[in-house]
Amino acid sequence: MARAKAEQHPATGMTLIVMVGLTIAFLLFIAFLNVVKSGNVLSEANLLYAALVFYAGAGALYLGFGVTGTESYIKFASLATWAGLVANTGAVAHRWYEAGHPPFASLYEMLLSFVWTLAALTLIAEKRYAVKVIGTVTMPVAIVGVVLMQLLRSEVRPLVPALQSTWLHVHVTLAMLAYAACALSFALAMMFLIQDKLKTETFLAATSIFTVGIYAAILSRFEGMGGFNVVAWDVENKSEVFLAKNVRLFVTIPDLGWLMLLVFLAVAAPLTLYIVSLIRKNDVLLPIANRAVFIGILLQSVALVVFVIRVRGESYLSLDDGARYPTSLAASPFILAGLVGGIFANLLYLLLLWRREDLERLLPDSDTLDRITYKTICIAFPLLTLMIAAGAYWANRAWGSYWNWDPKETWAAITWLVYAGYLHMRITRGMRGRVAAYFAVGGFGVVMFTFFGVTYLLPGLHAYA
Amino acid sequence: MALSIGSVARSTWKTLSSIKTGVVLIILVIIFSIAGTIILQRPMTDPDDMARAYSPAMLHFLDATGLTDVFHTRWFVALMVLVSLSIIAASVQRFPNAWRYFARPYKSPDDGFRRVLPIQAHVPITDEEEGLGAAERAFRHIHIKSERIVRPDRFSLFGERNRISEMAVYIVHASLLLIFAGGIIDALYGWRGFMMLTPGTAGNQIEMRNGSVKSLPYSIRCDGTGQESYTDGTPKKWWSKLAVVDEGREVSSKEIVVNDPLVYQGVRFYQASYGRTGKLDRITFNVTPAGKTGPAQEVTLTPNQIVPLDADTKVQLAEFIPDFVVQDGHVYARSTDVVNPAVHLIVTEAKSNKVVNFWLPEIPGVAENASSPYSFQPKDLKTGVFTGLEVSHEPGQWAVWAGVVLMAIGLTFVFYVVHARYWVVPVQDANGNLAMWIGGSANRNRDAFEQNFKRFVAQVEKELKPKFVEAADNPSATLPKTTTAGK
Repeated sequence: MARAKAEQHPATGMTLIVMVGLTIAFLLFIAFLNVVKSGNVLSEANLLYAALVFYAGAGALYLGFGVTGTESYIKFASLATWAGLVANTGAVAHRWYEAGHPPFASLYEMLLSFVWTLAALTLIAEKRYAVKVIGTVTMPVAIVGVVLMQLLRSEVRPLVPALQSTWLHVHVTLAMLAYAACALSFALAMMFLIQDKLKTETFLAATSIFTVGIYAAILSRFEGMGGFNVVAWDVENKSEVFLAKNVRLFVTIPDLGWLMLLVFLAVAAPLTLYIVSLIRKNDVLLPIANRAVFIGILLQSVALVVFVIRVRGESYLSLDDGARYPTSLAASPFILAGLVGGIFANLLYLLLLWRREDLERLLPDSDTLDRITYKTICIAFPLLTLMIAAGAYWANRAWGSYWNWDPKETWAAITWLVYAGYLHMRITRGMRGRVAAYFAVGGFGVVMFTFFGVTYLLPGLHAYA
Repeated sequence: MALSIGSVARSTWKTLSSIKTGVVLIILVIIFSIAGTIILQRPMTDPDDMARAYSPAMLHFLDATGLTDVFHTRWFVALMVLVSLSIIAASVQRFPNAWRYFARPYKSPDDGFRRVLPIQAHVPITDEEEGLGAAERAFRHIHIKSERIVRPDRFSLFGERNRISEMAVYIVHASLLLIFAGGIIDALYGWRGFMMLTPGTAGNQIEMRNGSVKSLPYSIRCDGTGQESYTDGTPKKWWSKLAVVDEGREVSSKEIVVNDPLVYQGVRFYQASYGRTGKLDRITFNVTPAGKTGPAQEVTLTPNQIVPLDADTKVQLAEFIPDFVVQDGHVYARSTDVVNPAVHLIVTEAKSNKVVNFWLPEIPGVAENASSPYSFQPKDLKTGVFTGLEVSHEPGQWAVWAGVVLMAIGLTFVFYVVHARYWVVPVQDANGNLAMWIGGSANRNRDAFEQNFKRFVAQVEKELKPKFVEAADNPSATLPKTTTAGK
């Protein structure tokens, strides 16, 4: 009883506000350091920094609404999103002007466009379909995107011959639009699941599996006696250190591995408790699991801070050749994104846990959400189709073959098949509601893998993206 | 009880056309595609890398099952054929129904249909003809041509828009089949290879992916090639001037760059690479008489060319080695990169019949530089360049592009063009009051259609009003009764 009461208590909310505030302040601090390093005042980096501040502000306001239930926060959050979009547009325009081509040539530039599209679509969904709290899901994604951009190489690089094609721009524009639409359908499907009275503990399981997955991937870098491997950074050339083509050189940060292992155990705890309560068929353990999520967030924040402090500007021994090499956050953007993404996922869960009634009151009803999810996919699917076609046409002009079965192409085709499956099930089989929502969530998972996973895990022609 | 051929065929057809089969096939395609992106694939990956990544037993297993070249194995092709068949079967199965919709639209709704139609309304009228006239004006207002349907027992109005939308999904499926057909044609009759040309030469031999050589019935001549770079040295542009020579005549020529190939008789020549051959183009020396301080003369030599230095003396460029190494008194080439070049010159004096062999730079024990009557200072070295051309023949690609365009059109119709139908029937209710039953139906985007339908009904009422003044007192006439029973 006492425990249940404590969870409703505003004091816990205050802790959350302080924690979120500190995390955001910390993220802004990293960004700020990068701005100071760049030197000039009115630049793309600063516009991007402004966008980050506004997006983070919007995200914080959405979360703040979640904690306090004050509806006026949402209006301000929407305003902050607008401001962020303006700054983001400035950054895109600046980039375009400086590079002389639309900003799609590198992962950095594509993230820039992706975040822009996501913010624009968020505002459209808010105005057009009255899905007011959609930013709670999309803004964290935007923030992670902008933070990643702060770390990735951002100087304008000349285009190698194969990339000088209008078809490439068409291809990537369509890809960004399609992926942003997929992201939106994911957010809407999640909201549908909330409105569809999906049990809160099921969300606990989902966010826990997500976080456990992240830390399991991170622990693949665990080395011997508690060390943690990160990619070495060549400060002069601003790039990773390569031993051979596509073989990166790793340095080992001592003891960081233990911390990651500890966090892994902490984030695995709620999942274990959930599974135990599922087997025992009672809810006694669930409040403990929720507590464990809270502790997990604290430990994840510690892991993030320690990771950033240890990685920044120090050099470590490499097990590959016994020499010391520096490393940098820019060499490990995906570990950082994973750490930040895990924290956000868990915070969203806490938001749901504490403010479910307010959310249910503010969201459109489940039928509407189901229909808008479907409509969003109706927009995403033709875009995906055209994206693949434009890519094939470009490949045909550049390499003499419209289809090479390289991993990125194959995964794009898989994404297309998954959404084609969704549409067929929906139109011919009348698939509605929860199954459809799970389908939409899974589809977005495939999109994310195509976008990030393929580039970093699988080899292929798409070396630039 | 023997199974008749007919029943086997029927059940095969039924299985093939079911959506379940389609989904299972799609899942299989997805699983094998994923395998193809995770397992290293044969033609692209170096055999050495393959051996490093997998144990011999594993590699043997992967090779035996075709998992090292998933997308070109027979069973993957068979799977794609099955997918095509399933699409065809499913489309054929459902086509008659859709075709009925399309070819013989349902224009005159009967009682049963009127009872269950989800979107409908009743508007009271005083006179049938007057009501139908108002409805016709309302149809004109929303730009739909209505027709009067006269049946022995019924009398009604029908109007519709975008009937083609019912066929759209078949357009999409047909386009997918067209793309598959293009892919299969290319897999069977297409080919890809590589050819290397140096400026001024022509060739018709293409090195194919599998190591064989294909000869074209015409030849390609390279009239020049080059690279432009950004200030930081990264390549900006590669270009080649190519000409097609068929039976001794130049029939076509083009300066190709990356992303802009030359096409001749369905064969495409792409700029794929550019580089230095390691062969000498020409070399320039400052030549001075040995031991004397005479005026220097500039001499440019090309391979094997003999150039007079004075009335009596000639020099010949005998050999050029881009990256030399000396072993056992012989000079060898270590690589074709111009990193450590050496030239072999032969100076001949006709009068004394003296032949001096020497190397630059001097290689002790191999050459006799000291006895040369002239000394040579290398000034400028130009090595040859080559252009690498990717050559491909894809006879099926037009089917692919046609399929893509068709699919774009089809998808537009599938998602954004709604087949909307309206029916207007004068009816008498249980109390004998005259009314117009108005029904509407759309094949997608029902909520938007519902709004349109309400507007249409309101328009009908507006058209009725001038003559039907007392309607103002009757709330049921101003507010259309739109029922939306279960969707």
